Amino acid sequence: MARDPKYDILFEPIQIGPKTLRNRFYQVPHCIGAGSDLPGFQAAHRSIKAEGGWGAMNTEYCSIHPESDDTHRLSARLWDEGDVRNLSAMTEHIHKHGALAGVELWYGGAHAPCMESRATPRGPSQYASEFETLTYCKEMDLQDIKEVQQFYVDAARRARDAGFDIVYVYGAHSYLPLQFLSPYYNKRTDGYGGSLANRARFWLETLEQVRNAVGKDCAIATRFACDTLYGPGGIEVENDGIKFVEMADPLVDLWDVDVGDIAEWGEDAGPSRFYLQGHQVPWTKMIKQVSKKPVLGVGRFTDPEKMAEIVTKGYADIIGAARPSIADPFLPNKIKEGRIDDIRVCIGCNVCISRWEIGGPPIICTQNATAGEEYRRGWHPEKFPKKGSNDSVLVVGAGPSGSECARVLMERDYTVHLYDSAEKIGGHLNGVITLPGLGEWGYHRDYRETQIAKLVKKNKTCQVALGQKPITVDEILAYGAEKVVIATGSSWNTDGTNCLTHDPIPGADASLPDQLTPEQVMSGKKAIGKRVVILNADTYFMAPSLAEKLAAAGHEVTIVSGVHMANYMHFTLEYPNMMRRLHELHVEEIGDSFCSKIEKGRLEVYSIWGDGSKRTYRGPGVLPRDANKSHRWVEFDSLILVTGRHSNDELHRGLKARESEWEKNGIKGVYLIGDAEAPRLIADATFTGQRVAREIESANAQFALPYKREVAVWGVSHMPGATNTAIEYQV
Amino acid sequence: MKILVTVKQVAAVDDDFEIRTDGRDVDPDFLIHDLNEWDNFSLEEAMKIKEAAGGEVEVVVVSVGPESVDEELRKCLAKGADRAIRVWDDSVEGSDPIAIARIIAAVAKNEAPDMLFAGVQASDHSYAATGIATASFLGWPHAAVVSLLNYTPGSKMATLQRELEGGTYAEVELECPAVLTIQLGINVPRYASLRGIKQAAAKPIDVLTPSALGLAATDVGEAGSLSRVRRMYVPAKGQAELIEGTPAEQVARLVKIIQEFKGV
Repeated sequence: MARDPKYDILFEPIQIGPKTLRNRFYQVPHCIGAGSDLPGFQAAHRSIKAEGGWGAMNTEYCSIHPESDDTHRLSARLWDEGDVRNLSAMTEHIHKHGALAGVELWYGGAHAPCMESRATPRGPSQYASEFETLTYCKEMDLQDIKEVQQFYVDAARRARDAGFDIVYVYGAHSYLPLQFLSPYYNKRTDGYGGSLANRARFWLETLEQVRNAVGKDCAIATRFACDTLYGPGGIEVENDGIKFVEMADPLVDLWDVDVGDIAEWGEDAGPSRFYLQGHQVPWTKMIKQVSKKPVLGVGRFTDPEKMAEIVTKGYADIIGAARPSIADPFLPNKIKEGRIDDIRVCIGCNVCISRWEIGGPPIICTQNATAGEEYRRGWHPEKFPKKGSNDSVLVVGAGPSGSECARVLMERDYTVHLYDSAEKIGGHLNGVITLPGLGEWGYHRDYRETQIAKLVKKNKTCQVALGQKPITVDEILAYGAEKVVIATGSSWNTDGTNCLTHDPIPGADASLPDQLTPEQVMSGKKAIGKRVVILNADTYFMAPSLAEKLAAAGHEVTIVSGVHMANYMHFTLEYPNMMRRLHELHVEEIGDSFCSKIEKGRLEVYSIWGDGSKRTYRGPGVLPRDANKSHRWVEFDSLILVTGRHSNDELHRGLKARESEWEKNGIKGVYLIGDAEAPRLIADATFTGQRVAREIESANAQFALPYKREVAVWGVSHMPGATNTAIEYQV
Repeated sequence: MKILVTVKQVAAVDDDFEIRTDGRDVDPDFLIHDLNEWDNFSLEEAMKIKEAAGGEVEVVVVSVGPESVDEELRKCLAKGADRAIRVWDDSVEGSDPIAIARIIAAVAKNEAPDMLFAGVQASDHSYAATGIATASFLGWPHAAVVSLLNYTPGSKMATLQRELEGGTYAEVELECPAVLTIQLGINVPRYASLRGIKQAAAKPIDVLTPSALGLAATDVGEAGSLSRVRRMYVPAKGQAELIEGTPAEQVARLVKIIQEFKGV
């Protein structure tokens, strides 16, 4: 199908300095865990988007000097020739597809802890970072300012040599240029502090110097948090925000604008739990009113209608996107080809971001299991190898892993029967999406549902059987499939088994009328009393989500948590607003506490630090610490057990027990995927489905084939031209 | 014991489609074929009876149509039907439900089943005529829109429930053999297993011609039909107009439209 003319505006080229952006789809800088040290990963992840139609792809933030070293997190770097060589793999592959490559030159100041380089970051004034709270910067004198500006210039030249078309001076997320601009950081009284003109001076001078150095060859971009959301103490868009844009406009070829800071950058990369697409527009649309240069803005734009509206209404010229480009590297081409319902819509869970926050393991995506696997596993997000045999496959369970496995097998032309007792594809996700703010997570199910429906129509040997009686081991043995994939998911524990004691809790029993599992809460069939206690030993969203749901419905909710509740939500940037929400709803938390036993209407709670601090050997049968005497009773009308999950693996165990009967029934292999193998993130469950579907011909597809590891290998020099790899002491 | 289940390969139109040049049907290039939805339920009802009786019941599916219909017959065989019959030659082209019913009645006379199940209607042409017309040719008792059935193979009587208008039901008792047209929702149709699909490939489909069934050329096709499609068309879409302007202008326009509509 041809593209709808209403989207034509998104495909109009636009000039940015000396370069032409072929359309309005622009992948803004975002982290992936590749940096400069995993060049294959970097090149493949960015260039697959160029193949998918995006106009420009950027690196993640890219350090200009060892003084800006973000270790324990992972940035790109342009410190030396080695980095130039590694990043040129990215530019080369992007250029092959006719797109532009950009690099976001970054100096972090006090936000960069320099754990690798052990250098001292410099800043406009001395302060401890509100993000990296143990790191202080040194206040720059005038000589320091000149030196740091030269770091930008040197890195810009290296960027040009690496083949980059767009060079950023990065001043969003509270990095150095913004630290000079914002009175929140800048307490100087010299020519670089005080008035707006003085606070802007560092940024303007840096832009000018970078422009003079590479402006003929490269477009000069700047990323600007046009409102830091601190009110008058920081940058406000209608004051310093638009005034700075007017001052810097002649020096930039492209404005990349957002809002917020680094300590709470979920206000920029807003999770769907709290923010709809386009949530920054009320701030960022003002930039276009004062700038004569192309402006781009982000806001998890996934809907082409909304994108066209942004451009048509003059809120921005270019659609910036990070997360939507990860979920669907082929989003622009799908719009171009009129394949709107094939778009893998970003669900806004921010699990991609969580990996950077954790410290830089490879990116993962809940929707797109191929994200991060482009180079090392050779997974293309839209193309699949044809089937390697005529084996037919029965997939039992149509949740995230089973539906993904079935979809990919069908894409590979296998005959697939997908079987579930539920009436709908989606598994446990169908419950999760009823929790407050999680509706958009349902796009994960919708994508698979739509694709499978199309594939079944195309290949009539495939079949989706929903709403079925739970299948038995006997029925699977007699089913006639050569390969069987078990994707039966997991359930929340009904007996209180948890990660702290690894045992059930005496008295915990969700079959009782006053105790519930999360599934029982979500299904809404069991009455819940006024006073609710949530007993928590899970560090992601279930406890706070249930607390929000029930408190909003008028229950008095107390969470007893033996672990750092919602800890993973720090990584997904959901934590700050989740906590604000629980505070608004008067949800009480009894933290660092767990439960020793449960009776009707009450649970016994103890402090997990209530045993003695001194550890001594006291012989067998005696604990090495003084006994915990902190136990007390807490009353409830309903108790919700968010203590842990277990795999629903009875079918798999049953099949394994009868392995001797496989051959006579024509079964060549049985595989266990998703939560049925081990409870995990939806992203990881989806990955296991994709992996088994892609590797089902391998000798034992239960276990992954080796992937290409990008590692420094002993004996190979760290730098082009260097030869000496010996251990040498400076003595 | 034997149950004959009549099935039809129905057509659905693609998103965009064109009418055939003679204007009497959709251009076959735009058709997607499938087994008629109702037939899944009548087959399932037969299979339930077969299984409840311990396998002494033979379930035979029969359809009238060209070779492409074998695909639907194989689906029925994959779900457990014992064998299939397909009737076709070029003379059948242009048959209406009455001519089709005459063919099916001829098959039924040969097969002598204890019961004949048809779907209430086919999802494409929606005549809801073939089943009842078959009963008429056979001179058998019949019941339409059956939503519940109580029948033991070999028994002389069956009791059943018919779905009527306005949420009412009729409980009916009739003599067998009989023709029942089966309604959606009477049961939960099964899916075929992969083994069933593989085994279906080896089950027989008997292909018969009308003449082999003792029918004359005038019994089938347009000659044997009581009706013919004169024209198939997509009705023109209704039009809407957004009336703009000041309230006075809007009223003036509205009055004008009413006058035009009334022909004043």
